[in-house]
Amino acid sequence: MKTLILQGLAVLGFVFFSAMFLVWWERKVSALIQNRVGPMVVGWHGTLQTVADSVKLLLKENIVPSGVDKLIWWLAPFFVVVPPVMAFVTLPFGKSMIVRDLNVGVLYVASMTAICVLGIFMAGWGSSNKYSLLGGMRAAAQIISYEIPLLLSSVLVVMETGTLSLQGIVEAQAHGWFILKPHLAIAFLIYLIAATAEVNRCPFDIPEAESELGAGYHTEYTGMKFAMFFVGEYTSFFIVAAMATTLFLGGWQGPFLPSFVWFLIKTYGIIFVLMWVRWTLPRVRMDQMMSFAWKVLTPISLANLLIGGWFMVNA
Amino acid sequence: MHKRAGMGMLRKIKVFYLNVKSLLVGMKVTFKNMFAPRVTLQYPQEKQPMKENFRGMVDLIPEDCVICYQCIRICPTAALDLGHKQIIVDEKKKNEITKFTFNTELCCFCGLCEEICPTEAIFLNKMYEVAAFRHEDLLKIDLMDAQKYKHLDKNYIFKKKE
Repeated sequence: MKTLILQGLAVLGFVFFSAMFLVWWERKVSALIQNRVGPMVVGWHGTLQTVADSVKLLLKENIVPSGVDKLIWWLAPFFVVVPPVMAFVTLPFGKSMIVRDLNVGVLYVASMTAICVLGIFMAGWGSSNKYSLLGGMRAAAQIISYEIPLLLSSVLVVMETGTLSLQGIVEAQAHGWFILKPHLAIAFLIYLIAATAEVNRCPFDIPEAESELGAGYHTEYTGMKFAMFFVGEYTSFFIVAAMATTLFLGGWQGPFLPSFVWFLIKTYGIIFVLMWVRWTLPRVRMDQMMSFAWKVLTPISLANLLIGGWFMVNA
Repeated sequence: MHKRAGMGMLRKIKVFYLNVKSLLVGMKVTFKNMFAPRVTLQYPQEKQPMKENFRGMVDLIPEDCVICYQCIRICPTAALDLGHKQIIVDEKKKNEITKFTFNTELCCFCGLCEEICPTEAIFLNKMYEVAAFRHEDLLKIDLMDAQKYKHLDKNYIFKKKE
């Protein structure tokens, strides 16, 4: 019981620390790309900027707009934050750094990240704001569409290893990461693209398209509730990057350094690439995005699954 | 019809290829920019050096002034006010400035006084942070005083024009 509480506290601490770090880092990467310097005043190179921001958000007034669907509006931020935190339970941070090695790990993480869409849709519906509702509906359509290529590319890894346990998948990559195999490299690319859409990031950030919807589903939220949407967003961002690391980049495997360091290096590397993509590419239109999911990504991942399966049977 | 459908497919593949290529070109551009020099100026700590022809506040080198009243005459907004009296030094008549004040409120920073001045005594310096706490601080600035803008800018140092 005592270790369970400690593990829970460690996960929670890591979640909030990681979200704060990622917000700071996102601002720094955007500044780097746009020839700026980013936050510089609070702490060394602005490292404590997010701390100051969260204190500000904590002290802000909690405004409840008139006409909101109260229960749904109040519950929505929790539905965005809690599922990604729960997905941390089965992430293999290191050789023995895992809370519970579930034998359905891949399925568990995928289903937990999929619950987020419920929270986003609840926020859009509960706000009784037409733009929020549009954002929520877009999020629902987008996340459900991109779930399919995401899972189809994970299935290839499961076929390769024959286990759903994440620790088992990492151990199967002891003699070469999965990204080195051609069909799994394609699966990795599909996974990255689908994961970007899954966490509503640019170029697939139409649920919160600032120019069209005015921040979309979290327009009506203020203070700590707004901060919870941010934490949820960056936590699921960390989860998809960690899953990409675990499934394709060999998880915590690596020479010399301790295993959790390797895991964090790889995960933050993928996060950096996704940030780089975000600050480079413009947003796609809704119809372009849906047709890309159904006409390009899903067929390619299905074909990839077929060819990969054929190789596994015949090789 | 069949042939055209085939061409359409080829075209689509070509468009897809070009799209992917353009994405990579964009990524390359942003990656290069990560290592480019920064353009940010940490303003209150760092200051932008002003250009040679920048027209800031009116400033004066009192020793160079010959009291010709050209600047008073040319000033379109009558922002300058000059007065003098005759004094006798070593049995020679000499003019001395009694007051030379500058009204910031009226000044339009045209620089005509600087242009007309025969001895280049009056000039426009490089000050650009010229906010004051009180209205009166901007009305009558004594140009004869070497500390004239000290109340607007703590770091003001009287400098002769280069």
